[in-house]
Amino acid sequence: MTADHVLTEMPSLSKLYVNAAATAARARIKRVEPVVALPPRALEVRGVTADLARLTQFQHLMGKPARDVLPSGYIHALAFPVAMSVMVQEDFPLPLLGMIHLRNQVDHYAPVLFTDVLTIRSWARDLAGHRAGTQVQLVVEVRNSEGTELLWRGVSTYLAKGIYLPGLDKPAARPAGAPRETFSPPRPTAQWKLGVDTGRAYAAVSGDFNPIHLSVLSAKALGRRRSIAHGMYAASRVVSDIGSPKPDAFSWDITFESPVFLPATVSLHIADTRADDGGWLGSEFTAWNARSARLHFRGSVAAGTKQA
Amino acid sequence: MSSPTAENTARPAANRGIRKAVIVGGNRIPFARSGGAYAHASNQDMLTAALDGLVARFGLQDEAIGEVAAGAVLKHSRDFNLTREAVLGSALSATTPAYDLQQACATGMEAVIGLSNKIKLGQINSAIAGGVDSASDAPIAVSEGLRTILLDLNRAKSLTDKVKILGRIRPKDLSPDAPSTGEPRTGLSMGEHQALTTAQWKISREAQDELALASHKNMAAAYDRHFFDDLVTPYRGLTRDSNLRADSTLEKLAKLKPVFGKNLGDAATMTAGNSTPLTDGASAVLLASEDWAQAHDLPMLANVVDGEAGAVDFVHGKDGLLMAPAFAVPRLLARNGLTLADLDYLEIHEAFAGTVLSTLAAWEDEEFGKTRLGLDGAFGTVDRSRLNVNGSSLAAGHPFAATGGRLVATLAKMLSERGQVDGRPARGLISVCAAGGQGVVALLEAR
Repeated sequence: MTADHVLTEMPSLSKLYVNAAATAARARIKRVEPVVALPPRALEVRGVTADLARLTQFQHLMGKPARDVLPSGYIHALAFPVAMSVMVQEDFPLPLLGMIHLRNQVDHYAPVLFTDVLTIRSWARDLAGHRAGTQVQLVVEVRNSEGTELLWRGVSTYLAKGIYLPGLDKPAARPAGAPRETFSPPRPTAQWKLGVDTGRAYAAVSGDFNPIHLSVLSAKALGRRRSIAHGMYAASRVVSDIGSPKPDAFSWDITFESPVFLPATVSLHIADTRADDGGWLGSEFTAWNARSARLHFRGSVAAGTKQA
Repeated sequence: MSSPTAENTARPAANRGIRKAVIVGGNRIPFARSGGAYAHASNQDMLTAALDGLVARFGLQDEAIGEVAAGAVLKHSRDFNLTREAVLGSALSATTPAYDLQQACATGMEAVIGLSNKIKLGQINSAIAGGVDSASDAPIAVSEGLRTILLDLNRAKSLTDKVKILGRIRPKDLSPDAPSTGEPRTGLSMGEHQALTTAQWKISREAQDELALASHKNMAAAYDRHFFDDLVTPYRGLTRDSNLRADSTLEKLAKLKPVFGKNLGDAATMTAGNSTPLTDGASAVLLASEDWAQAHDLPMLANVVDGEAGAVDFVHGKDGLLMAPAFAVPRLLARNGLTLADLDYLEIHEAFAGTVLSTLAAWEDEEFGKTRLGLDGAFGTVDRSRLNVNGSSLAAGHPFAATGGRLVATLAKMLSERGQVDGRPARGLISVCAAGGQGVVALLEAR
């Protein structure tokens, strides 16, 4: 990072969505030359704390006890406005609205308590071609108030579908006629019945009111046939379902393969990996549509973290 | 012969003798007055928080415990497996069995005694006894009328039947049913019952206020000398019991108006100051066999020596609702060849100051000793310097099922610190009264 910019307060997500819509409209009118570089600065917000009432609602929505330690998904939601601010900057090369969440990788280095005062920093990296458009990674780091200790790091990969920027190598498209990777569902170990209000319920506790999650109408306005469950709802829920007997240091990784249109019945398979002495090493999960057997997402939770 | 799993290596029935059940330690969250810091926390939230702290304190991550038993007095019907769900949500091994139990305010005591007995018999090697209650997040049920209609509606086949059944709903059916502390058979609240007992034993307002003040002062002092550091884990921003008033004075307590027994005239002595408030909280106690504790390199604070339950016929006013321990304690001590004078500490649960003082008065009463306890005279006098020395429920509050765990862990630590008295292990008694005219008492001994 060449320069940092410290924001004086936590940006409002709803304002960010309005800004994103306005920027998209301007871009359509002005047809500006695309920029093929990411903003060089990281954005930082200091003095962030969790909202206890919303934290409790978040924990209860996941069906989990209200602990003083922040669940992983909640930290993502807490930091999300900073990442979004990175993506609505004038010189950010991709349109925010309609961006698709491809993958999330998170490392927990230490438990974060609701009383902790946090410094949150985010920047974009690895702008790259994708067969369906252009992808980018948003890095979020959560540190203690002095910014000296890294507590949590998340890397989200997003796809701007149908946006091709000049000069970016595009991976070869699947050769014509080559079959998609076939997915045969394993034996389910759990089932989620997701009502039509799943998106609205998660929006209320996470603050992420992206219209594609809220209702059929608002989703249609953005070109989706029905509303879609938040990827982070799925990630937060599966990670908290698995839990970690080693809550101090663990990591997780989720890849989103297809959207979960609401309402939905999602089947899951969760399998633990254990050491010879029976100690928990990690768990792998796979989720698919109970009716169509279409793969929705998969990933893993593991004890320990990558080097900070 | 090899055994299937470590926890199942409890001893075969053929060569079981009675072995010792030890208290390793305990953990609770600070107790909060209802509607306060835990207003939005459920029973499962708080029980999990108490277990989390216990797991962290004794390094029980991924450990299979022999059995976990806990309960709640005010319990939602959806929480039928409250304890097992809390275990699954904790860092304990998922192979830890658990069950719910409930004996009103004695729930935590009964959990400790029952699990200790299993350890003594060699059926399990380790156990966690706990309890939780939320007066804030209490279950509210639909009225009995509406409940019947809804069940009929569910069974109805045709639309016309359904419409007919819905037509039975009357406005009065829509008012919800909230739980109360009233006794089903007498219609009197616990406070009203105790007010009658307090008047019967002629317990003065001053004596009750003095006991309440001592509870606050003793508990505040115990916090100040860090006595509770390894017994309490902060939760939701609370680090001490929110009911605790270190700055309380007799003058302040004397100003409060009576809230129970107001029709008793001058005998109306029970105020919000000398009665426990509705409280939210949870506690957990780790119990083990000596071998298990040693193998896990864990401390052994005290032995659970014996326990006794009792009940009185309060319905027709023969005895006060909360007087069962007045009978259970003499039986327990007699069985163990002890008298009140042989006890180094007494923990008598302060449901109301009047409860403790009525119990002491009954024990000092010659007539009661002769006619009701079958003794030659009065049962005995409690040395007040040994009573509730680190405060009790009047200061901490009383989340019904969680009080037993608080008392057991607190007394075990006190006994361990005291060690030997006159060449024998220090002894302590716990006495807890409960709704329904019941009581559960237990005897502990220092290691």
